[in-house]
Amino acid sequence: FRGCSTGSTPSIAPPWLLTAAELPYTPRLTQSTPLEGLTTASTFVLDQPRCVFNEYGNADIWLVVALDKAVSTFNNTAGPGTPETAFQGFPDPVHAYMTLNATLANYPCPKPDGDITVLRVGSETSCAGDATRPTCNGPLPGPGPYRVKFLALEGSEPVAETAWSTQIMLRTAKSPSNISTAGSGHSAGMIAITTILSILFAILLAGLLAMLIFWRSDSCGGSSTFSKPESVTVRRYNTHHVYDQPAARL
Amino acid sequence: MAKSDDCVHILQGLLVFGNVVIGMCGIALTAECIYFVSNPYGLYPLLKATENDIYAAAWIGIFVGLALFALSILGIIGVIRASRTLLLVYIILMLITFAFEMASCITAATHRDSLTPDLLLKEMLERYQKPESANNSDNEVTKTWDELMLQNHCCGVLGPSDWQEYTSAFRLTYSDADYPWPRKCCVLDAQGLPINLDGCKLGVPGYYNSNGCYDAISGPVNTHAWGVAWFGFAILCWTFCVLLGTMFYWSGIEY
Repeated sequence: FRGCSTGSTPSIAPPWLLTAAELPYTPRLTQSTPLEGLTTASTFVLDQPRCVFNEYGNADIWLVVALDKAVSTFNNTAGPGTPETAFQGFPDPVHAYMTLNATLANYPCPKPDGDITVLRVGSETSCAGDATRPTCNGPLPGPGPYRVKFLALEGSEPVAETAWSTQIMLRTAKSPSNISTAGSGHSAGMIAITTILSILFAILLAGLLAMLIFWRSDSCGGSSTFSKPESVTVRRYNTHHVYDQPAARL
Repeated sequence: MAKSDDCVHILQGLLVFGNVVIGMCGIALTAECIYFVSNPYGLYPLLKATENDIYAAAWIGIFVGLALFALSILGIIGVIRASRTLLLVYIILMLITFAFEMASCITAATHRDSLTPDLLLKEMLERYQKPESANNSDNEVTKTWDELMLQNHCCGVLGPSDWQEYTSAFRLTYSDADYPWPRKCCVLDAQGLPINLDGCKLGVPGYYNSNGCYDAISGPVNTHAWGVAWFGFAILCWTFCVLLGTMFYWSGIEY
């Protein structure tokens, strides 16, 4: 058993009534299946308390969700559906609310293999603002931390409870303006393309300049290969211009 | 004499061949760029919204391709006629085209580098399902993302946790408890409804799409960018050789 300091507060009931039995079960977030939505900004997912309340077939099993700091002050005799435990008053002035009413029939034992048996805390959005539904399983208002436990009530008497869970923190969303879109630098390919093309372009420009500067000069190295002073060769170049100067010259 | 005539003829032949190849590559470049500009993967609204104009390179490529084809014909005529004027015009216009194609290649490569997951993530969070947006491009972004997530069975840029880790325009309208991520991230049946809504909200494997869409976006964009950049680069290298040969030939023509 857990130490009494985190257990139920001393009851003011008549001495022949026992305080609620403390069951050796700690509620926890679902571990058996990997769930992407295990904790979101306003919900979290618990394992169902299967095979835990076997001896309390007549009891109503409630889930108590409390702020971490309110765990020690929670009173088991606080009834569900009262303004002191209404979801609509959470987190202020209500520090712990009760929701997800169930009976042993909802949690059959043993758990069939392959079934995903979970409780999603925070899934009911339609009743979140409806004061006539104080046991609403509404979305949690902040990132926490929260702690939960299961409480079995017969009538209005608490008969059994589990231990408080460890702290449950929900996700906090960051603003997208924090995302830095500065480039990750240039890839090798881009640098290669830029460098090589710039060099090639520079060579071509230099070649063009050389061409234009030496336009009228026949002393350029390659010219002697092509230019022939004999009119015979000139005629060969201008095969299409048989009407041209060579005929006139001759 | 005959030997240098042969050299002349060989050079002419090489230049004509070079120009023919340039002409064909120009047509191919135009065709390739028209294909990219026609937006075959429907990603244009996404990329346009990131102010990252990867399509500018393709547009330049279309006109450069046509210019290369026209100039190659001019070049062939100039080489065969051995006309100094024609070849000078050819060389100058080719250099201008070279410069434009160089710009296109570098633009394509640079914009491809800047398309990081963070850029897409930020744009998606700020614009997807933006409420009451009079801006047409926001609606385009939403439609494009919906199509993308539907067809590629993916969610978000890096995964559904994008919607949890960051606040978003989507979150302003849709509560976290009902919509931890958009409905399009769920596995849908033939009617377009989630096969198991609770399973999708919980994130049970099999009822939601757990992988991100970044691969589906970057794949086509990479093909596009490298198609324009590297093919353009190859054409320019070949053009460089042909232009050098033409300059050499030009300087040897008797006028």
